Amino acid sequence: MLRPLLNWFRLRRLDNDLGRELQYHLDRRIDDLMRSGVPELAARRQARLEIGGLTQIHEEVRDVWLTRWLRDFAYDLRFSVRSFLRTPLFTATAVLSFALGIGATTAIYSLVDQVVLHALPVREPQRLVLFDWKGLTASVNAFGSYNLLSYPLCRDLQQQERFFDGVFCRAATTISLSTGGDSVPTAAEIVSGTYFPVLGVQPSIGRLFTSTDDDVPGASPVVVLSYDFWSTQFASAADVVGRKVLVNRHPMTIIGVAARGFRGIDIGEVPSLWIPAAMSADALPGFDQLLNRRVRWMQIFGRLRTDITPAEAQAGLQPWFKAMLAEDARRPEFPRITPDRQQRYLASALELTPAAQGHSPLRRRLSQPLWVLFGATGVLLALACMNVAGLFLARGSARGREIFTRLALGASRGRIGRQLLSDSILVALAGGLLGTLLAPAVMAALIAFLPREVAPNALQSSLNPRLLVFATLVSLIAGVLSGLAPAAQAGTRSLMAALTERAGGAAGGLRLRRIIVTVQIAVTVILVVGAALFGRTLFALIAKGPGFDTSNLISFGIDPVRNGYSRADADRLIQSIHREIGALPSVQSAAIVNNPLLTGGSWNIQMTIQADQRVTTDREVRINAVSPEFFTTLGARIVAGRDFVESDARPATEGGLCVAIVNEAFASRYFNGRSPLGGRVGLGTAPDTKTAVEIVGVSANISYRGVREEWEQVYFPLASCAASAGTFYVRIRGPRDAAIQSIRTIVHQADPTLPLGTFRTLDEQVSRSLTTERMLAALSAGFGALALLLSVVGLYGVVSFSVAQRTREIGLRMALGATRLATVWLLLRDALMMTTIGIAIALPTLWTLRRVVESQLYGVTPTDPTTLAAATVLLCTTTLLAALIPARRASTVNPADALRLE
Amino acid sequence: MPSARFPIPQGTLDMLILQILSLEPAHGYGIAQRLEQISKSVIQINQGSLYPALHRLAQKKWLKAEWRQSETGRDAKFYALTAAGRKQLAAEKDDWARLARAVQVIFDEGGPC
Repeated sequence: MLRPLLNWFRLRRLDNDLGRELQYHLDRRIDDLMRSGVPELAARRQARLEIGGLTQIHEEVRDVWLTRWLRDFAYDLRFSVRSFLRTPLFTATAVLSFALGIGATTAIYSLVDQVVLHALPVREPQRLVLFDWKGLTASVNAFGSYNLLSYPLCRDLQQQERFFDGVFCRAATTISLSTGGDSVPTAAEIVSGTYFPVLGVQPSIGRLFTSTDDDVPGASPVVVLSYDFWSTQFASAADVVGRKVLVNRHPMTIIGVAARGFRGIDIGEVPSLWIPAAMSADALPGFDQLLNRRVRWMQIFGRLRTDITPAEAQAGLQPWFKAMLAEDARRPEFPRITPDRQQRYLASALELTPAAQGHSPLRRRLSQPLWVLFGATGVLLALACMNVAGLFLARGSARGREIFTRLALGASRGRIGRQLLSDSILVALAGGLLGTLLAPAVMAALIAFLPREVAPNALQSSLNPRLLVFATLVSLIAGVLSGLAPAAQAGTRSLMAALTERAGGAAGGLRLRRIIVTVQIAVTVILVVGAALFGRTLFALIAKGPGFDTSNLISFGIDPVRNGYSRADADRLIQSIHREIGALPSVQSAAIVNNPLLTGGSWNIQMTIQADQRVTTDREVRINAVSPEFFTTLGARIVAGRDFVESDARPATEGGLCVAIVNEAFASRYFNGRSPLGGRVGLGTAPDTKTAVEIVGVSANISYRGVREEWEQVYFPLASCAASAGTFYVRIRGPRDAAIQSIRTIVHQADPTLPLGTFRTLDEQVSRSLTTERMLAALSAGFGALALLLSVVGLYGVVSFSVAQRTREIGLRMALGATRLATVWLLLRDALMMTTIGIAIALPTLWTLRRVVESQLYGVTPTDPTTLAAATVLLCTTTLLAALIPARRASTVNPADALRLE
Repeated sequence: MPSARFPIPQGTLDMLILQILSLEPAHGYGIAQRLEQISKSVIQINQGSLYPALHRLAQKKWLKAEWRQSETGRDAKFYALTAAGRKQLAAEKDDWARLARAVQVIFDEGGPC
């Protein structure tokens, strides 16, 4: 099987070789004949005659080299190429249809592959599992993203050697890193010493962590660099091992560089370096809870032993886990909780999920939209295939006589069918090639839509072998699918009937093409409705906005503790910077916020409310600490009660009050329309939770995590002794650049070594927080438009084809007195029928699909009547317009000409 | 005098080529000459069909081919039997002998005439 293919590629060489061989034969024969007395000319003739036709020998030997089918295929291909070159417009339309479909599919697939499917580049990734603690309410302290567990639990699990070949834990963070010059915010991963050995990652140079680097807290100030960071920041210097870097001002020694292509286990947060968990106090300033069982901040992964399934390990771990919970609940430092909650704590269980792709909040966020997109591109590709199938059917009918003549001359139906199939495969491959060339640009555009964090995003927009294989497969499938209908068509029609038909008869494929166009219209309706829904979602979110005036509002963050400040010093620094910025003439007002807004993250806790009666919140409340100027700076209204004042921020010992401002969502959820003013709240839900904080104001709802979410929020005054890090929100006057420059100067004068993040306008941040929605809206609009275009082309093709076929009938009708209007109607009826049936198919389909998109929508239901009606009207108008052009042309037919056509 | 020469029976050309090459490697023209000599011009072979046969046998790995200097000093493509080819020749010889014997038996005893 392989050899013929191999020969295919060296056909020219083999041919030359054979030529030489035959020439030798001829020359020898001529020599021999001449020696026996035959004159040269006669000898030449005789030698030629004896050997027979040289071309024929070449052909026969080629058959030997390539085997029959391959040679036939080669001929088919050559034939296809020739016939395509004769009809460039047809070819271009078909190739472009495929290029669009295949290019889009390949681009989206590359993202799906990278974000959702791609296994980690480590040893046997399919044996990795991620631990999760199910049934545990968020009562304990937790920070980070998902699946959070404590470091001591990881150490416990490492003892479970019956199930695991190893267990490691990790947490992503951002450190302030200096490699000699200024400090730069840098993505890092805090990992247990088992991280590299269990993953099976090798060093590029130097060594990686081992368990000994993680034994004693604070005892091993070492780091491992990522390959990418090493090559960009250290120019791949071979002597990097042993150099010192400053992590949050703490010197640490580089011991090695990880393997090339290993970018951590979270594709959304690519670390530049790894720090052992034992050094977490340095990596996370002020964090000294490494050995606290109740501080959950890391993800734990295990490598299953080869003979163990995740289910077996999960079941096998439960007895030990239960015992551990019971023991933990007896510990003196265990928090005092209600018996009910203690019961729930003891009933909680450990869960294992396969984690060959690692862990990624980005994947959580993107995988559903990506699958939806992938589905949409699949549909788009199907539409393109249908269009090409339609084109081929039309061409097949036009070529009907050629094909039937070939059949009559003895070509087998299989052979003809194969010819037609090779046509469509050739077009699909050409389209696929073009599409693959376009794909990187599409990918780059898609990736630009994705959120970019501090870490360099690891998503690639380049082609790789997997992608090429995918594109080739898709092209082949598309080629076969779109060639099947015409090929089947050629295989079934009666030869006699076809040959006796009059020229231009061949009704072939028209019914099939009608069905194709109907399906196209149905799919187009679905895509157009989708585009409208996502578009309306985006506009609704933009119209809603974050609830405050974003113009002239900028923000930036500083984190002095990461630069070696003590909490008290950091606080003093932040206060003085705040004062100076507030005093700038170009600044209207400035506020400090503990947790930045619109980043997708928030600070959450369940609370107890004491008003008429004592209640606990039924879900976590989003809380934040803000300086007194917060609401005025953002322009958020205080709808009841009062704003914070300077004295609120003072500690109670200095006359400060314990006060809070809640938002309207909080008031309406927990106060049923009564005024929350004077109510008291406390953090936590234990029976003895103190409700010492008085609600003094109600603010309008403003966005915290993102624009979409409307959630209960409680604001506390940023206590002057807790402002160790902060995000500044500054409302500026006049030109933005000048204001930013003055702020930079202030921060720089306060401490020249302090890393200052980028300044962002709030407009930009709102827009960034809507990236997913914008991507969905833009892409679905693109898909909808393409689909509409494809079906219009398809419909136009069918109607003009049927006009061409029915010219005689139309002429006859008109000769017998049919009006123009009646003629137009005759043809429009056809188009209207297809459109109506298409819409009739689409609407119930949309109904069944509504659950898929519901969660992505805002301010509009998946079956919104206005949207559906608008899409229906749009489809009807465009399809009728597309049909009207050929129909009108038909109505101008001169009956005499039409009848004379025969 | 075309009737004096038999056309070569279907499928025997391959066997004859293998037989000739079992003596010593030869180039295409040499094989044609040998066939002519051995069959004493009784069997008519179309020289044109020799080359497809050679390439078919080479494709099946029964022959191996290499370019080297011929007796006239010019480069020619020489074919030689491989181990697999030798085995194939033995098998075909055997088959042929059995077939010939069977046909002979039918001629000797069978038939009403």
